[in-house]
Amino acid sequence: MITSRRAFLKTAALGGASLVIAFDDKRLFGADKNDTAQFKPNGWIRIGADGTVTLTIGKSEMGQGVRTSLAMILADELEADWSRIKLVQASPGPDFKRLGTGGSFSLGGSWKILRQSGAAAREMLIAAAAARWKVDRATCSAANGSIVHTPSARQLAYADLLSDAAKLPVPTDPPLKKPGDFRLIGKPTKRIDGRDIVTGAARYGIDTKIPGMLYASIERPPWAGAKVKSTQEEKAKKVRGVRQIVPCTNGIAIVAESTWAALKGRATLAVEWEDPPKEAFDSEAHSKRLEAASREKGFITRKDEAPAVTSAVARTIEATYHYPFYAHAPVETMSCVADVRGDRCTIWVPTQAPNSLQEAVAHSLGTTPEKVEVFVTLIGGGFGRRLAVDYALEAAELSRAIKAPVQVLWSRGDDMKHGHFQAASAHRLSAGFDSAGALVAWQHTKAGSLHNLEKLPRPEAVRDAGYYQDLSWGVYDVPYAIPAIETRYVTVDLPVRHGPWRAVFAPSSVFAREAFLDEVAHECAADPLAFRLELLKGADQVKAGSLTIDRRRLRRVLEVVREKSSWGAAVAARHGRGVACNVYDGDTHIAYVVDVAVNNVGNVRVERVIAAVDCGLVVNPIGVEQQIEGGIIWGISSALLGEITFRGGTAQQSTYADYGVARMRDTPSIEVHIIPSAATSPFGMGEPPVPPIVPAIANAIFAATGKRIRRLPIRPEDLKANG
Amino acid sequence: MSEIRLTVNDKKRVVDVDEDTPLVWILRDTLALTGTKFGCGVGVCGSCTILENGKAVRSCQIPASEAKERAFVTIEGLSPDASHPCQRAWLEEDVAQCGFCQPGMILTACGLLHDQPDPSDEAIDAAMSDSVCRCGTYPRMRKAIRRAAALMREKKA
Repeated sequence: MITSRRAFLKTAALGGASLVIAFDDKRLFGADKNDTAQFKPNGWIRIGADGTVTLTIGKSEMGQGVRTSLAMILADELEADWSRIKLVQASPGPDFKRLGTGGSFSLGGSWKILRQSGAAAREMLIAAAAARWKVDRATCSAANGSIVHTPSARQLAYADLLSDAAKLPVPTDPPLKKPGDFRLIGKPTKRIDGRDIVTGAARYGIDTKIPGMLYASIERPPWAGAKVKSTQEEKAKKVRGVRQIVPCTNGIAIVAESTWAALKGRATLAVEWEDPPKEAFDSEAHSKRLEAASREKGFITRKDEAPAVTSAVARTIEATYHYPFYAHAPVETMSCVADVRGDRCTIWVPTQAPNSLQEAVAHSLGTTPEKVEVFVTLIGGGFGRRLAVDYALEAAELSRAIKAPVQVLWSRGDDMKHGHFQAASAHRLSAGFDSAGALVAWQHTKAGSLHNLEKLPRPEAVRDAGYYQDLSWGVYDVPYAIPAIETRYVTVDLPVRHGPWRAVFAPSSVFAREAFLDEVAHECAADPLAFRLELLKGADQVKAGSLTIDRRRLRRVLEVVREKSSWGAAVAARHGRGVACNVYDGDTHIAYVVDVAVNNVGNVRVERVIAAVDCGLVVNPIGVEQQIEGGIIWGISSALLGEITFRGGTAQQSTYADYGVARMRDTPSIEVHIIPSAATSPFGMGEPPVPPIVPAIANAIFAATGKRIRRLPIRPEDLKANG
Repeated sequence: MSEIRLTVNDKKRVVDVDEDTPLVWILRDTLALTGTKFGCGVGVCGSCTILENGKAVRSCQIPASEAKERAFVTIEGLSPDASHPCQRAWLEEDVAQCGFCQPGMILTACGLLHDQPDPSDEAIDAAMSDSVCRCGTYPRMRKAIRRAAALMREKKA
């Protein structure tokens, strides 16, 4: 049973959170003919009598810029006046049955349907104007919110054509603009919410205020299954503003009239939990299990047999790479407001998974999804954490229990200790050389854990290669031409909460692959960049699972970073230059050259990053640059700063003080080169910049110090001079 | 509970809160000025930064008892129309990604430029590195701060 990878990821791999706008064609393409005061040709576009164009955005905005880029696509085909655009955020309902944001699928997945929607509306407006003027519609065109009759230079604003256009049939296959005619797509466009952000007017989940709303903070068991030993309930009830103390599924909720009263009540409650059992989860022990598992057979995700002409392996080198647990640690902690009334519920929530959330809340309340109304707010950082719906279930449960609207707000410590962590993994790699010293065999086994956002989508017995490939991007999709390639996945049970992170599950895999390739190049006494280019010769395109890797595009980004970085030029002592590259999900191609300096006590400073990217057709060049900058900084955090460790079943970190994240002082100079692409559609950029940055840093550190980085985060004590 | 008198964005306010209530919750829950964000509550992320006499202070670290009779400016009070040089520079450099930390970042930058109208790159990094942006907008923030400094000098000249 081979599953289409994309179809699979859409429906299963990320906890059932579907990733692409799914739509009910009939509804979305059905004009609303009952309302002549406005023109609503489909679920995405509404033009009001005053000419304001309201666009519905079906993806959650969490910093990746979708509200801007998706609006640009719609407005370009619609030929709308960009200065008169308003946005509304889609809610689950008859128009939107599978809302979900993740996997960097927003642009690629929305591109065609949004263009068709914009074009359909534009064609209806042109037809309406041509009929009004009684002219051939071929002599009319749309521009900037108006239809123009070119021969007579007559003009009609969209606002004047609404009722006529609304009466027309919706074209099912409208002509799309030629790329040369794009007015917005491809132009540097500033963030549409920028002004709201800099004035404090932007509303995130945590900013939701509704009349009568109470505030709750939940004390959660430190390890799974922990029981309460003692509390100071009577004292806590006396804290001014505390209304109720409510035991709930995930712990004990303190409900109060203000956030501060809830937090104070929680501190006063002073819950003592039982001590954890000896066998409670410990990340150090888990790391050993992962290492042992990386030597097991596991599931084969790719096997390219060497052609018979290839001479036998005469020598091998091998290495094991270790990847730790990481938290998402968005600056906006988890929060949700729920208002349950009878069998109905209204939710305001910063989520990446609106429809999954709606279904899960309905299920938990014993009602039906259509009785759960979900409003998606702006998100103060998602990174995959908000594909889980746990915090919404908490709010719904509490609102029902206390019969009032309530906001559940997680403290920073709650967020750090009770996340859906990026799981640790171990990677066993080996490279085989023939008697002439050429690389002829590559093996990579990833031992890791899937996710437990909800019950696993498929029992082990029916998981196939496609299933494991989805979970090992960066392992099986080796882009290099090596005669024999074998990749495997070994599943290791993991009792703590875990799930996708920025770049889903790819960062650990690409770190191991690209760092080990550097070891192989060194073994061959080859320049690591030239070595990669050499391995990308041969067939221009290669299949890996359901992906097609285009080696020409990868070669091109490597050539660009080679040129722009003055690759090969001499560097100072304890300075080094490293390279890494990756094709994300068969789509976005990125190469980095990183310069580092390592001081005598082993502190690493990333000084400069040269990036080259081919992300297909570019919708918003500013957005591409922002995501590369952000992805690099995300990678610097994971390479050099915080990790999550567990003792006694409990995550030991609780703030940005003990879980380090990159600050401005850690930020290198960054130069982004966007390569004109042969592709005619866009690929996502939120995640692809993350995976190759960590190995590029690790490889630069080797160049600077001669020390291999096989474990993250990188520790200064391992890099001391003469150490 | 006690009555606390303070000035926020040039308006005199009287709030009835416990003396230990951190100012961030007075602003957010009592005065509904949600532009000031909660990020950590322990002074390590900078999201709750506001201004006092032009200097950046962390509202999660100021209990009501200490906020008495003091005057603060939040992001809502910086300018009614995004015309403050820092806001303009932020928009011109298109700094924000998710935007959540940005009010705190902008006000931290205001505090820096109040003390040092023409800060060195090192001074910018030093002043801004007590704050967290998980999206990684630091490169653009650096540019925006230099631009804001130039805009402020222009205004004075």
